[in-house]
Amino acid sequence: MMLDDQQLRKLLRLKRYEQPPPGYFERALEEFHRRQRTELLRRSGIQAWFERFASGVWSFRVPTYAYGAAFAAFVLAATIIGSGVWPPFTQTVDTASDLPSVATNPGNRLALSGNLDWSKFYPSLASPRVVPTLRPSQTALPRYVLDGRPVSYKASFSF
Amino acid sequence: MDDQNLPDDETLVRRTQDGDTRAFDLLWQKYSPRIYALIYNMTANHDDANDLLLEIFAKAYRSINGFRGKSSFYTWIHAIAVNMTINFVKKRGRRFQMSLDDLDANVQNDKEFIDLTATNTPIREVDLAELQQRLNEAMMKLSVEHRAVVTMFDIQGMPHAEIAKILGIPEATVRSRLFYAHRQLQNYLEEFRKK
Repeated sequence: MMLDDQQLRKLLRLKRYEQPPPGYFERALEEFHRRQRTELLRRSGIQAWFERFASGVWSFRVPTYAYGAAFAAFVLAATIIGSGVWPPFTQTVDTASDLPSVATNPGNRLALSGNLDWSKFYPSLASPRVVPTLRPSQTALPRYVLDGRPVSYKASFSF
Repeated sequence: MDDQNLPDDETLVRRTQDGDTRAFDLLWQKYSPRIYALIYNMTANHDDANDLLLEIFAKAYRSINGFRGKSSFYTWIHAIAVNMTINFVKKRGRRFQMSLDDLDANVQNDKEFIDLTATNTPIREVDLAELQQRLNEAMMKLSVEHRAVVTMFDIQGMPHAEIAKILGIPEATVRSRLFYAHRQLQNYLEEFRKK
């Protein structure tokens, strides 16, 4: 005959009678103290600090309202940046020294484009975002192009 | 000091957090027998249970500053104990030997024991030592997660809700694990009878 549920539970409850020897828990506490002392001596101050820190980090719970606050901060930042009140990524040029050296160095100017006057591509310091578009002549198509600017208008067999 | 005369857990925890090691000794006095029984019934080995008991209390002592009282200390230390024991049993694998504690002689005066031996059940035919051996062997055939639930519910008499909190699982899962574990144990104990 198979044990029914009730009998099985009664049988399992008998396992409460399995007990360690008398005085076991007192001896185990002494052993616990001994191990704690040994560990304290072994561990350096830094380890102890780290454990306390790690324990604090793991037990840290983010308050519920923090999620709402973070979302509100994100929406506010997105609104400010989106409305253009505060464009954080706009590059401004304050002085002429910020211009590319190619524009101020006449030698470079000549080397790149002959008598091309680069200064006309920087008509105003207030609008530095203007990117010059070069239109080479129909008779001299560029052979090598770097960054959209012709390096040379001369035929390749000429060098 | 009797367990009844001990200060409440909250006070003892606060005192421990303030550096009073004697308060932690009182927590040990209060909980070590229950924690030991939990580990012992999950490992079926006294030496392993002894080592784990010391490790669990050492971990609890190290982490007690992080205990914020969102659950009871009872739930908290049981959760540490169950998790560490499950990890230990999984690492230990199947290669182990049972090392059982002695069965208290008072078991023979237990009403439930008398009822069980008086009826036509498998245990009628075995002596006490054999009964203990068979029960533990049957328990060891369960998965460690099922064993934890059986230990807490059937042996230690915890309610489903408390077990669910300790294990961090829904109560329905606790019930289904218990149901499945009971079916398995009934089958294993039936096999013993046929031997």
